[in-house]
Amino acid sequence: MWELKEYRIAGSIGEAVAMMRRGPGKGVYIAGGTDLFLFPPACDYVVDINHVGMSNIARTPDGDLFIGAAATLHDIATCPLVTGFAGGLVSAAAAHCGNRPVRTTATIGGNLCNALPSADLAPALLALDAVCYIADEDSQESLPLEEFFTGPRRTVLDGRLLVGIALSAASGGWRAAARRLTRSAEDIALVQVAVALEIDGDRVGAARIALGSVAPVPMRAMLAEALVEGELIANLDPDRLADAAAIAAGECEPIDDHRASAEYRREMVGVLTRRLLASVLAGSTDTSPGTDNEGGAA
Amino acid sequence: MKIVVKLNGRNREWEAAPGATLLSVLRDGPQEPRMTSVKRGCETGDCGACTVLLDGQPVNSCVVAAARAHGHAVTTIEGLAGDPLMTALQAALVEHAAVQCGYCSPGMLVSLYHLLKECRAAGTTPGDHAIREALSGNLCRCTGYVKPVAAATAVAATLAAVGRAEAGAR
Ligand SMILES: Cc1cc2nc3c(=O)[nH]c(=O)nc-3n(C[C@H](O)[C@H](O)[C@H](O)COP(=O)(O)OP(=O)(O)OC[C@H]3O[C@@H](n4cnc5c(N)ncnc54)[C@H](O)[C@@H]3O)c2cc1C
Ligand code: FES
Ligand code: FES
Repeated sequence: MWELKEYRIAGSIGEAVAMMRRGPGKGVYIAGGTDLFLFPPACDYVVDINHVGMSNIARTPDGDLFIGAAATLHDIATCPLVTGFAGGLVSAAAAHCGNRPVRTTATIGGNLCNALPSADLAPALLALDAVCYIADEDSQESLPLEEFFTGPRRTVLDGRLLVGIALSAASGGWRAAARRLTRSAEDIALVQVAVALEIDGDRVGAARIALGSVAPVPMRAMLAEALVEGELIANLDPDRLADAAAIAAGECEPIDDHRASAEYRREMVGVLTRRLLASVLAGSTDTSPGTDNEGGAA
Repeated sequence: MKIVVKLNGRNREWEAAPGATLLSVLRDGPQEPRMTSVKRGCETGDCGACTVLLDGQPVNSCVVAAARAHGHAVTTIEGLAGDPLMTALQAALVEHAAVQCGYCSPGMLVSLYHLLKECRAAGTTPGDHAIREALSGNLCRCTGYVKPVAAATAVAATLAAVGRAEAGAR
């Protein structure tokens, strides 16, 4: 039983932050609670943020996608605005999380704020240049998602509230694909790779390669991206893709644990990055992560 | 804290600890009657024995705060007794020998009820994949999944036939 003194239900974003700052003692925000009830932190009160108007999903006039932090994984998995964005990369990642009843209450904000290296939404969002909107009592901030995570289970928030995430519509549109290796379908990922390329005629515009479960935080392989970004597609032959993949493998910092060795994880970052780059360049937008176990990737 | 819910269609007031899960309040009380169809299994959101409907959507009540239900509707098997779709699903599980110890059955029935209701509203018939997906959060240690899937498939086929007959009659 989670020993809480108080369950506070906020009615607005401002009220949520004020309730958090008010004390006495220590508080945490609660959205779906699917992470919190598994490992209840020692605290005095929770602030429920399910009724503050942060569950919205919207396309802006310039085509960007905004997802409120309290939007549920089920909504993200099924909302046409998300399934129709970047080949459905984000909705596929959400559809894969947990099981149907978990997705009813689990939120995107909880997935990111819990800040596990293996958070399943993180690679897809990082690959699409996600920007986080954060609210404090009397200030607002936005910052790129890659600056949001500061370590395993640690973020920049410090009592502030994640309000939502915006994904930029690349001018030529994103083409994207992702893969997630696991021991079994419901286990935490061993390696996650998401690739998004902006195709601009015969060139690659922006190139994004995002990795999960292979470093203290979800990360981008920026050196590998640089090898692909701005290139003529004709120049991106298999050797060049193999080079980019090898660089990505060098950029990650995996650990050994009971699921897999660091060496295996690093190797798989290379394999998946190479295959995903090739399949995205070939025009495939396969975003069905997680259905493959080891060896069956891309 | 005081929690006001619509439980199985009736307004209720619960007195619950701020850190209580929906599962503990439904199953353990203190308020009567206790909803003992809601089973306690893993308490980690994995097994689905505690599945109930929150505003018509399936949730694992062991990882949902009781307070989350404040102002919302909670439905358990008790509230669906006599509902024609639920009755058909229960009969099909029995007919297909999909119930051994039965500990997983209420959770499976809630998941399947939700799926078939959603499909009926959308005018679709769930295929094998959709049925398996709907049951992916319900673990069964005795029977396995082939028989529950067969039972759900049979009910889905009946519903589709009824739908066609109704469309023909119009
Ligand atoms: C059975 C099961 C299977 C799961 N499978 C997966 C899986 O496959 N992949 C995966 O990635 N995860 C999985 N999870 C973990 C979890 O469901 C997800 O991480 C989920 O998205 C968490 O969201 P939540 O709203 O439930 O978070 P909560 O538990 O409500 O919160 C998690 C943390 O984030 C903080 N927080 C939440 N929202 C905000 C906000 N807006 N601003 C600031 N802080 C906030 C909370 O204070 C807390 O510290 C699983 C969980 C279960 C129980
Ligand atoms: S008891 Fe809730 S999912 Fe197992
Ligand atoms: S019948 Fe015993 S767990 Fe399913």
